[in-house]
Amino acid sequence: MYKLILTVRYLFSKWIAVFSVLSVWLCVAMVLIVFSVMDGFLDNIKQHSRGLLSDIIIDNDTLQGFPYYEEFGEFLKDRMPGEIAVVSPVIYSYGILREPVTNFTKPVRIVAIDFDSYRAVNDFSDSLYYNRYYPGTTSLTQTQVPVAGIDGYDRPILPPSHELAYQQYLKDRDESNETSEDFSEPGFRSPHGIGWFKQRFNTPRMDGEPLPGIIMGTDVIYSKDKEGFYRRFLERGCEIILTVLPLTHRGTIAENPIPVAMRNVDDSRTKVYEIDKICVYVDFKLFQRFLSMGSLERVDGTFTPPRASQLLVRLTDDQGYKAAQPRIEELWVEFRESLLDRLTLSDAELIEGVSVETWETRQQDFIQAVEKEKVLVTILFAIISLVAIVLIGVVFYMIVIQKTRDIGIIKSLGATSAGVATIFLMYGAVIGVIGGVLGVLTGSFVVANINELQALLARLNPNLQVWSPEVYTFDRIPSAVKPGVMVSVFCMAVATSIFGAIVPAMKAAWVWPVETLRYE
Amino acid sequence: MVLARVSKLHKSYALGRTKVSVLRGVNLEVREGEMLAVTGASGCGKSTLLHILGALDKPDQGTVSLAGEDLFAASTWRRDTIRNRDVGFVFQFYHLLPEFNVLENVLMPRMVGTSTWGWMSARREAKAKAAEILELVGLQDRLKHRPNELSGGERQRVAIARAIVNEPRFLLADEPTGNLDAKMGKGIMECLHGLNEKGQTIVIVTHDQQIAALADRQVRLVDGKIES
Ligand SMILES: Nc1ncnc2c1ncn2[C@@H]1O[C@H](COP(=O)(O)OP(=O)(O)OP(=O)(O)O)[C@@H](O)[C@H]1O
Ligand SMILES: [Mg+2]
Repeated sequence: MYKLILTVRYLFSKWIAVFSVLSVWLCVAMVLIVFSVMDGFLDNIKQHSRGLLSDIIIDNDTLQGFPYYEEFGEFLKDRMPGEIAVVSPVIYSYGILREPVTNFTKPVRIVAIDFDSYRAVNDFSDSLYYNRYYPGTTSLTQTQVPVAGIDGYDRPILPPSHELAYQQYLKDRDESNETSEDFSEPGFRSPHGIGWFKQRFNTPRMDGEPLPGIIMGTDVIYSKDKEGFYRRFLERGCEIILTVLPLTHRGTIAENPIPVAMRNVDDSRTKVYEIDKICVYVDFKLFQRFLSMGSLERVDGTFTPPRASQLLVRLTDDQGYKAAQPRIEELWVEFRESLLDRLTLSDAELIEGVSVETWETRQQDFIQAVEKEKVLVTILFAIISLVAIVLIGVVFYMIVIQKTRDIGIIKSLGATSAGVATIFLMYGAVIGVIGGVLGVLTGSFVVANINELQALLARLNPNLQVWSPEVYTFDRIPSAVKPGVMVSVFCMAVATSIFGAIVPAMKAAWVWPVETLRYE
Repeated sequence: MVLARVSKLHKSYALGRTKVSVLRGVNLEVREGEMLAVTGASGCGKSTLLHILGALDKPDQGTVSLAGEDLFAASTWRRDTIRNRDVGFVFQFYHLLPEFNVLENVLMPRMVGTSTWGWMSARREAKAKAAEILELVGLQDRLKHRPNELSGGERQRVAIARAIVNEPRFLLADEPTGNLDAKMGKGIMECLHGLNEKGQTIVIVTHDQQIAALADRQVRLVDGKIES
């Protein structure tokens, strides 16, 4: 009983307790913030890697791609019935983007996708900006520009297809109660745009010549200023010339560069800066032809097999990618053997280089680098926390020295050594708990508002802008605290405080009473 | 009947390289119910002897038995219990806990000896008992005062109250009047006398011959031994 009473009495009678709480508080907040940001960063990378690729990736890492991808897709579905959800071929190439009005040019990475299967194989469609507000209106085939008009009551209105889609979006949004929006709505429905439309058009319509659609990475379309706000470059619906370089299966240039007139239909915001700043998405079949990767007639009247750069596979079982990878690899070997007698030499070379990987191994280097960084930072902060432990130890040591006479008195009254030690351990625990709770609260608050705080700092002094999307891949600092991390950091704080109290408490407790009574 | 028996007690302190022998074979018996005064020159080892008697310090050699039980052969845990139950100690410098008021200081031995759950039920009775004892030493209107708000004599009486609250068999007082003027010292001695008359065994250490004369019996510590 006396233990509790003494603990409480000491806590309330000594300023030094406030300092101990303060040091625990700051340490906990600091560790929580650093760890959460690193951890969130890693999670972001993992999540995005998978969301942007697929469970299994099959490719040979060349620009000319590999043949018989379609046959292999069928083969897979045939041999692993029910396990393969979607197979989607992709072609990667490079091109020059030009906007004919302003002559704005930019080198881009062309991702030729089969829109429907690609959307099913990964989270690509979640990244589409306009498709979010006008679901189903984004298409890579021939499209015109939707132009807003006004209805009989002077209200803004879109062409029927878009208006319906928008109403659908509103309905879905209300049903799902989704309030947090990553981006503001597209501008051409906002009152701001109406005056302009009102003067020129009375009825909404689809305008312009039908052109194949192109989806562009958001940082291709816009450039961001220092504060992270987008500056508009290319309007939705504007015409784009994409010049591509066709390659033969041996990798030589097949013909002159081909300029393709296209229409900007959507804006892909994966939030991965490396991707958003360079990728444009176009129709697979169309660009397979332009890049001369389609089926071509040989001199002898036979046809070359079409090629793709990559085959993405999504499994029905989300967790099964690790187990499925070796099986698919085996099936690939089997498939390759069955082709042997049909292959030309150069095709055989392309086929030979094909590997089967999971999204995880594909991103391994990067993920491992970040994981190492996380360990490194955690170790650094563990060392800093060590300083905190020493600090707390010193503070407790001072308290114990101050209270040495009291310890002798209490022991002379019959208190056990363990009882006396308990007083100081409880003291440490209470300080750890108070400091830990405060630290977890502050840390969580800072992490939750870290982007706003960063913006605030950057406004005060631009040099304080520490997060740059170019360096850290993502456009925002990850800002989520996991409950598990909270709990473990908190427990660590309490354990640390108790540990800091142990040594002086032991020292004071395990002596004969007179030895401590001699302090006058 | 002999309550405490000290035999061949040796104690020395290491001062740097030299060893200072303070007690060199002390033999002493304390009878039940008596008031024994231990006198001697300053620095002759009176306090050391008393501390060992109260199990607050350990001897180098020799034994102390309290009611037949060897104090230093007992387990640590047992010794803690003996300090709590069987021995009351009054220090020369009071040694009260500054964060606690008079009543709480007196209650401390009670609290130390009771478990948290036991305390819930024992609290009321313990408080009444402590108040009663404080009345006995004449401090009934000082219950809520902190030690630093009391005079030296009052502090010493609180220390006595604390020493006897658990009704120990053995009350040890180390120069209880040493820091007090003659009048206050007399008050303290009256207080101890009153206790002794009720059957309390008391060992009192003093270098004041007048005080020692008030005891039933006197022994003198000379050269680390009891002079007979
Ligand atoms: N912890 C210690 N370390 C070294 N020497 C000590 C220690 N405790 C006591 N002494 C020495 O032992 C001797 C006896 O001390 P003690 O306190 O028992 O004397 P005393 O008889 O009570 O004196 P006084 O009448 O002044 O209180 C003294 O010389 C003292 O210096
Ligand atoms: Mg002394």
